[in-house]
Amino acid sequence: MAGIALLVFFAGCVLAILASAFARTSRFVMLWFGSLCSICLMIAAIARLATTQDFHLDLWTLNGFGSLSLHLDALSAIFLSVTGLVYMSCCWFAADLLPGRRYPVLHFALMMAVALILVAGDALTFLLSWECMSILCFLLVNYDQHADSRAGYIMLAMSEAGFIAIALAFLIVAGTAAGFSFPALRAASRTVPGSAPWGVFLLGFFGFGVKAGLAPVNYWLPRSYTASPRAFTPVFAGITLNLGIYGIVRLSGDLIPASGTGMGVLALVVGTITALVGILYATTENDLKTMLAHSSIENAGIIVAGFGAFLVFRSCGNPVPAAIALTASLYHLVNHSVYKALLYQGTGHIEEATGARDMDRLGGLIRFLPALSVVFLAGCLAISAVPPLNGFVSEWLTLQTFLRSAVLPSPLVKIVFALCGAILALTAALAVTCFVKTYAMTFLGIRRGSWKPNTANRHLHFSLNLLAATCLLLGILPTYVIPTLNRAVEPLAGASATAALVPPFFMATDSNQQLPPAFLHDFHNLGAQTGSGVIPGRGLVILLRGSDQNPVVFAMSPAYSIAALAILLLIVWLAVTTFTRRRSIARSEIWAGGIPRLLPEMTYTATGFSNPVRVVFQAIFRPNIIEDTRETVAVHFRTAIRRRRDETHLVERYFFNPIGQAVNWFAKLLAGMHHGRLNAYVAYVVSFLILILFLYRLT
Amino acid sequence: MSFWPWYGLRRGIQSTRYPYAPESAPGISPGRPVSTDFASADEAAGAAAVCPVGAITAVGSRVNVDLRTCVWCQRCRFGANPLHWDTGFEWTRSIKGSPLSEAFARSLHVMIVDAGDCGACLHEVKQLNNPLYNMHRLGFFLTATPRSADVLLVVGPVSENMRGPLLKTYDAMPDPKRVIAVGSCAISGGVFGRTFMSAGGAGSVLPVDLEVPGDPPPPLAILHGLLVVTGRKQIAEVR
Amino acid sequence: MTRPPVSIPFAEALERKFGSAVSRFAKDAYIVAQPEILPSVCEFVFWELECPFAGLIVEEREQWELRYVFLLPNSGWLHFLLRLPLATRNLPSISAQVHAADWYEREAEDLFGLCFEEHPRLGDFILHDQVWQEGIAPMRKAFDATGMHFEKRPQSDWRPTLVVQDPGAFAMPVGPVYEGGAGESVHFLLETVGEDVIRAVPRLFYNYRGVEKIAAGKSVDDVLLLAERFSAKSAFAHSLAYCQAVEEIRGLGIPRRATHFRVVLAELERMRHHAGVIDGICQSTGLSVSEAHAAMIEERLLRASCIFTGHRYLFGLNTPGGLRRDFENGAAQELLSAVDDASAQLECLEERLRYSSSFLDRLEDVGIVSPASSLDLNLVGPVGRASGLRRDVRRSSPYCGYEQYDFEVPSEIEGDGYARLRLLFAEARQSARLIHRATELLEPGPVCTGKMEMTTGAAMGAVEAPIGAALHWVRLDGQGRIERYRILSPSFRNWLGLHVAVEDFAFQDFPIILATFGLSAAECDR
Repeated sequence: MAGIALLVFFAGCVLAILASAFARTSRFVMLWFGSLCSICLMIAAIARLATTQDFHLDLWTLNGFGSLSLHLDALSAIFLSVTGLVYMSCCWFAADLLPGRRYPVLHFALMMAVALILVAGDALTFLLSWECMSILCFLLVNYDQHADSRAGYIMLAMSEAGFIAIALAFLIVAGTAAGFSFPALRAASRTVPGSAPWGVFLLGFFGFGVKAGLAPVNYWLPRSYTASPRAFTPVFAGITLNLGIYGIVRLSGDLIPASGTGMGVLALVVGTITALVGILYATTENDLKTMLAHSSIENAGIIVAGFGAFLVFRSCGNPVPAAIALTASLYHLVNHSVYKALLYQGTGHIEEATGARDMDRLGGLIRFLPALSVVFLAGCLAISAVPPLNGFVSEWLTLQTFLRSAVLPSPLVKIVFALCGAILALTAALAVTCFVKTYAMTFLGIRRGSWKPNTANRHLHFSLNLLAATCLLLGILPTYVIPTLNRAVEPLAGASATAALVPPFFMATDSNQQLPPAFLHDFHNLGAQTGSGVIPGRGLVILLRGSDQNPVVFAMSPAYSIAALAILLLIVWLAVTTFTRRRSIARSEIWAGGIPRLLPEMTYTATGFSNPVRVVFQAIFRPNIIEDTRETVAVHFRTAIRRRRDETHLVERYFFNPIGQAVNWFAKLLAGMHHGRLNAYVAYVVSFLILILFLYRLT
Repeated sequence: MSFWPWYGLRRGIQSTRYPYAPESAPGISPGRPVSTDFASADEAAGAAAVCPVGAITAVGSRVNVDLRTCVWCQRCRFGANPLHWDTGFEWTRSIKGSPLSEAFARSLHVMIVDAGDCGACLHEVKQLNNPLYNMHRLGFFLTATPRSADVLLVVGPVSENMRGPLLKTYDAMPDPKRVIAVGSCAISGGVFGRTFMSAGGAGSVLPVDLEVPGDPPPPLAILHGLLVVTGRKQIAEVR
Repeated sequence: MTRPPVSIPFAEALERKFGSAVSRFAKDAYIVAQPEILPSVCEFVFWELECPFAGLIVEEREQWELRYVFLLPNSGWLHFLLRLPLATRNLPSISAQVHAADWYEREAEDLFGLCFEEHPRLGDFILHDQVWQEGIAPMRKAFDATGMHFEKRPQSDWRPTLVVQDPGAFAMPVGPVYEGGAGESVHFLLETVGEDVIRAVPRLFYNYRGVEKIAAGKSVDDVLLLAERFSAKSAFAHSLAYCQAVEEIRGLGIPRRATHFRVVLAELERMRHHAGVIDGICQSTGLSVSEAHAAMIEERLLRASCIFTGHRYLFGLNTPGGLRRDFENGAAQELLSAVDDASAQLECLEERLRYSSSFLDRLEDVGIVSPASSLDLNLVGPVGRASGLRRDVRRSSPYCGYEQYDFEVPSEIEGDGYARLRLLFAEARQSARLIHRATELLEPGPVCTGKMEMTTGAAMGAVEAPIGAALHWVRLDGQGRIERYRILSPSFRNWLGLHVAVEDFAFQDFPIILATFGLSAAECDR
């Protein structure tokens, strides 16, 4: 079943490429072929998850390299399902905002490359499709002629550097393996000599980290996300970022499992710092797309921090907390794809309607784009981890994994966990600030800029509605999502997280071996059995205390809680409207202290809203404020005060600028050799020859 | 380190018992001129001529005082033919309208707008918050925004520059609302009258429900006005 | 009251510098021959001779008469008179040299229609742009004060000029109806980028009632009412300045009993006013118990004033020639006990506030006005004295016999909120002392001189009002009516200096700094 779906997928993509290369209407191609291909991907993933049988297909064999193969296991299936869903909505979205007639060619080619990466069964297929994906991303980022083209080049350079690191990582292991296929690499991972595991881990981590958006190698990310065309950015943020995480999980979680707690702690710390820096810059950024790019960096940091916790727990022999950590990480990845794609699509619509992207120039959009404002609000709530949407569940699970660090043996590691947990809580709070500011400055208040609202494209919010509905479903049905993720998590962690997170309280028969039967019996007597035949579903554990003999569990079912809340609200609303008088609403203008008119210049700007964050974290931002005043007569007769703020990004300041300076210094040193004197050049050649002869003589 | 709660508690309760008990401490009110009988019409005319704003009219040998115009300059109190001055402070007059409903009797939010006031009437309203009068114990509060205000106190003769903001404040208040003109400036323009820069009282700008004469009316007079507007005290309606 | 003539070194310095362009006119007035040298004259007098600039008096008679009033540092004042034909519209501006003259010139432009060249910001000062059209000039004689014949400008195109041009800057509007705790009508636009106030622009004159215009043509007694009631919290001080001006024109001598009572009442008003400002400071910082304490002190002083004089705010006491009524000695003793009680309470409050560190945190090093700024903008009263300017009209031009009293004029240097607070307490102490001394010196006698002659002439009365130096210029015509009444109020000068204190401090400190200045919008707006 999965095989057929994949075959249809690839055929569909090829057909779509051909069709859009020659046909006249690319919208049709985008909509129908895009839907077909995405559905095929989702079917393939569901088929794999429904059964437990991996899908394997050998393609052709190369001399000396082994066979190129496709292998679809549970981990790939999860990534594939998310990719399919997000791709579907992005195809619908892009169909109306196509930047060019030939755009679908690149779009579908990228889709194929992404699918190939996810179902690759050996290192060669993986690397080849990764390189294709990098190049296609570069082409897509630079699709717009008038955008920032340097962004694409920076991205390409860093992607290539990352690719080289990834290739080296695979090659190091393949040196002692019986081929390039993933099973061979898995077998060889135990025999990797000396400190090579660290080398493999670091190369893989930072190599994949380029695509995943980890500090310090995420320098390219904000600029590229901002420069990419409107149709491509949701794909960029929702799909290609996942590939980096997929690479890290596959390499360090599955193929060459990281050993020792050091690697896990490194991943955890890098993830946490990435998250903090990302959200700080997101909070103080005014351009919508750049802000969302920094927020993606933050979310990637949270995912990688969860993954780091997984590695630590696994290497310390705690499989259940490791499973929880990996579940949290994967859940956050799924959530991030969905709501980031939603937010980027919303931003695309805003830009289409107003031509502006700067929050300081927007405002009051809720009157012009009411449907979009509702969906965008759902996205903002989801990313701020507000229940009942999906961000809450993954944020909660991530914090849960940090709370379980009490089982770790080493106190130093426990301290690191505590610190990272605290910092992640801080990032969660800053994320709320950031998105409150985004929503308020963009949609609420008075219109600040001079744009005219173009409400031509008010339809086709279907893609946004789909993603918003997905956010809601992922938020109220975690009791179904977690067991699904567990299929991928269990082989990697060595234990199942389902039992610890989602015990079947509402079932008559207990299939839970962790809890003693006497306890279950008592619990059933308390009434948990009530309605067991009527209400399916499970509870989500909030707190588990006590020992195995005397467990105390607090559980909550999000789906039922939301349903109960909705019913309660409905009852209250009915009561209020029935029993109270109808009141008339009088509308009058805003009260502003009696001034003639409240002008847009008198309302809070985005910069003003985030100024406290900038001031508190001044040590990180280090802004240079250049104040330029023009006085006419005296201090109190200033007619204009102009201020400019120059900030260099933290990563740039501490990482790339010193490297650049070192390279420059070295180059200048070497440039001393290029003076143009022929005699000296001859002397270089002669001395080099003598040196070679001497070395030859020695060995 | 100062221990403020102890300082406050040690002082005990200083508030007046008004309106539950009559208040007659010295200095709480300057009093007001009242109609006086004189020995002859000439004396009455002499007494009436002293008033610089024409608030005293002589009718035979009796003089009548129009409190709406009186500016409390006290020239009639210490002159050759002095008038009688009454103590007390319950001077509120109702122009029209009914008091607010029972719901507001013990929870009233008052908005005050300075429309050209000299500062005295405004200050007297502010004094209602001090422990000696303490209008909070009666459930009256000053608000900062008209959106949550029930009563609008206008002080000052409504200068032209404040006419717009005053009207905006009135419009921003939700129904039901009442307007009280506090002080002779707000009632009749006071010493400023009706000029290019002052509207001659709040009545020319807004519909006024109650008037509290005085220049300035003492805090208890304003408190009496608030009690009247909530229906907790009754007065005879005029005109 | 007598004032010493302009001292010889000043006269010589002026003669040396300007020669015949500036010629002596009267005991304390100089005529400036051409308008072009006016800026350099004023600059010389302000910076070289160090005379504070007190104000600009514009009179429309057969020609324009502009008087630039400078206070001599130790005694009296100096007028520089500029006479121009009535058709003149343009004059040179002295604001570039004397920054304290900024608002006086704007006021003259709005009210008289005179255009001061090179003044960077004319218009929309007293007559707000959103209400009035241009070119009305209400203070001109041809303008009828009782008519309503002007047109008003619609309000929809109101757009204030903003100074800060940062992409994220915005201007937070405060007022004119803003403070729930009964604040006066003042409008501020605080330009900021979120935390610090970069530029604060006050917009006053919402309380402008045209007192100077209404006064023209009224009798002396009627204008006395106006002089009392344009700013009730310093009613006695302003009525005293007005009476002093009239008394000087008519050459009236004041009985000694009246001068002593005048001192008692003026200092009583000062004490009560300062208690009110302290109450405002405590309220702005949210220290409720101290606010209640200060409010009770003020209320008891108000009640004492009412018992003593019949009016809580001391209305209706002054008259040209003395006081309108007499007081019994018993009443004076009762007043003394009330003053002593208030004085003791103020000391107790000061002690407690000194040991409240959270309260002092909000005041210390907040709202600093440097000595250079206060000198430049010529700040008066407790605000000026807290920044190092030791100026007091009671010392420099003594009136009502202040020269015979032994009292201090306290001053501080830091110029922050706490310095102003300390100064208020110190001045209240001195006031209590003066009340005692004046009561001791009381002797029986009349309180008013009876003669009222009809003389023409003009004079200035200067009084140290609670907020600062108040100068009233009165010109009488032959029928005992006012031809021109000009009020140079202390709040007008100190409001100009508020923005210096507020800028570069955080938003949250703005109400506190405003409270420490203790200003009155009614006194500034008139």
